[in-house]
Amino acid sequence: MDLHALMPPLMFLALILFLLSGYPVAFALGATGIVFGFLGIALDIFPPALLRAMPDRIFGIMSNQLLLAIPFFTLMGIILERSGLAEDLLDTMGKLFGPLRGGLALSVVFVGAILAATTGVVAASVMAMGIISLPIMLKYGYNPRFASGVILGSATLAQIIPPSVVLIVMADQLGVSVGDMYRAALIPAGLTVGLYFLYVIYVALFRPQWAPALPLEARPDAGKEPEAAFALLSYLLVGVGSWKLGEFLQLPAWLEGLEVLLGLFLWTLFLLPRIQRNPLLRRALLSMVPPLVLIFLVLGTVLLGVATPTEAGAMGVVGALVLAALNRRLSFRVLYQAMEQTATLTAFVIFILIGSTLFSLVFRGVDGDLWVEGFFTGLPGGEAGFILFVMLLVFLLGFFIDFFEIAFIALPLLAIGAEALGIDKLWFGLLVGVNLQTSFLTPPFGFALFYLRNVAPKEVKTGDIYLGGIPFILLQLLVLVLVYFLREPILRFVGS
Amino acid sequence: MRLLLGLAKAIDALSERVGRIIAWLALLVALLSAGNALMRYGFSYSSNAYLEAQWYMFSLIFLLGGAYALKKNAHVRIDLVYGRLSQRTQAWIDLLGTLLFLIPMALGVLYLAWPWAMTSLAVRETSPDAGGLPRWPIKLALLLGFALLALQGLSELIKRIAFLVGVYALAEEKGRGVE
Repeated sequence: MDLHALMPPLMFLALILFLLSGYPVAFALGATGIVFGFLGIALDIFPPALLRAMPDRIFGIMSNQLLLAIPFFTLMGIILERSGLAEDLLDTMGKLFGPLRGGLALSVVFVGAILAATTGVVAASVMAMGIISLPIMLKYGYNPRFASGVILGSATLAQIIPPSVVLIVMADQLGVSVGDMYRAALIPAGLTVGLYFLYVIYVALFRPQWAPALPLEARPDAGKEPEAAFALLSYLLVGVGSWKLGEFLQLPAWLEGLEVLLGLFLWTLFLLPRIQRNPLLRRALLSMVPPLVLIFLVLGTVLLGVATPTEAGAMGVVGALVLAALNRRLSFRVLYQAMEQTATLTAFVIFILIGSTLFSLVFRGVDGDLWVEGFFTGLPGGEAGFILFVMLLVFLLGFFIDFFEIAFIALPLLAIGAEALGIDKLWFGLLVGVNLQTSFLTPPFGFALFYLRNVAPKEVKTGDIYLGGIPFILLQLLVLVLVYFLREPILRFVGS
Repeated sequence: MRLLLGLAKAIDALSERVGRIIAWLALLVALLSAGNALMRYGFSYSSNAYLEAQWYMFSLIFLLGGAYALKKNAHVRIDLVYGRLSQRTQAWIDLLGTLLFLIPMALGVLYLAWPWAMTSLAVRETSPDAGGLPRWPIKLALLLGFALLALQGLSELIKRIAFLVGVYALAEEKGRGVE
């Protein structure tokens, strides 16, 4: 038996075994790399020079400016989480849409999308919504299963809506630009939010008893809601309108930005009497301004290609600090906790990356990449067969492990197959990214399920939480199918 | 055993202290990077020294934070089997994992990175870019990080053994960060 040919499957098996032991992933990966590395040298399978490249590989991770965006977006998210942003938004949007059937659920989806674009932390979104919105929904007669599902689905939007940390990690692993990844992700993000809205509307129409409207006595500003909602909508129209006008006049980017601001300012002056008369409108505007400014500052600059994700993340941290200070939520304790959590997360995430780098260096040294490639190209069905296999695999893995492990361990191996079959990496990453959302909602190891269970009132049964997530998993899978068929439009969109 | 537990406690205190430093680095690096971005857009000014200081600080966070995260039991595990086991069995897995995975990995990296860092130190290597920072300190930091990691591994080893022979109570904290 040829020892050389035996090494890749042996190494792979050892890795699976070590990972399953439950010992921290980073060290199981790294040790597999190091031990097989020295074994390979002893057996003369590859030259010692291979292992001498190891410090340089770690150094490559250290000097990778892109990865800096991970602590930045994490710190920004944790500070925002403590700044009261989510509470204000959920409260005012609930009051605004509450009078509609299904309105509370719509407001949860809406706020979920905004939180995803700012804090980007699934756990934070689940907990904020579970603590604030779930009790209100239950109190006014929402079906607990439906209410839990809406919260779970909306919270996992953080994975697919930029500035998601997962998208950064995936872009890095696949060797595509983060800006492109963010731009491409806007399409599945929009599709997911749209489908959630449609589903909530469907429930409101055909299962009205699941999602009743707020009764009159629960509406301190009764009668003022339509005006406030239409005023908010008018801002959207004015904003888009002045942006389009700027484009039509072919203004330079900075002037266009100024022109949009001017448009919004003039509109505010026009609405001023109404804003003064309508406290709900006032609160809604006040709660919407900070996240929108942050979204523009952070995401807008990245998507327009003005700033790198790293720069935008750093500016986002400053923005989050300012916002928290303005809301008087910034104390030394809050700040220190946020810093400490960020440092810890950065350490364990980058350590998984170091471990997986050590593993793949040696794995490629024993021609493991060829072995994996042979396996993937041997799958029946060519490209479609490969995609189907990968999607099933990622979905099933999502039941047991979470996205860090999939992104760092499975993705590099899967990328070998994608490359061999000539599949566009960006589109492939998008498919995996959409699929990874489900890993938060699939038992027994769905993190969103855990977080919601921790904060949900006792009358919500654990079964309600698990079953409630299912419609939203199905919607996410539907988006996956759409992304599969929308490959050309998505790539064209990113290219433009 | 008492002596060993004393050693473990000293190592834990060291990691804890390092953890406090890197927490501040996490904030400082964000402020530095925001400052760099503002200088670049506002005044078209950029300096390699400050840009490199960004990733030096970032590197320090995770190189030195690896040991701290280990102390906090924050490194990601696959809980599929581990989560259902008794605390005793978990301690056995951690004991063997530390001996077979963590310490060999840390020592292996140290062995491989030692000549690499020492060469850099000997020639006082600096950044290839104009106005950049000296390179050798951050390469030494890699050694320091993995040495701290091995040390914290030793502490975890001692605590697991002490737990298994019944003279030490393991905290059941799971310091998992944020998702």
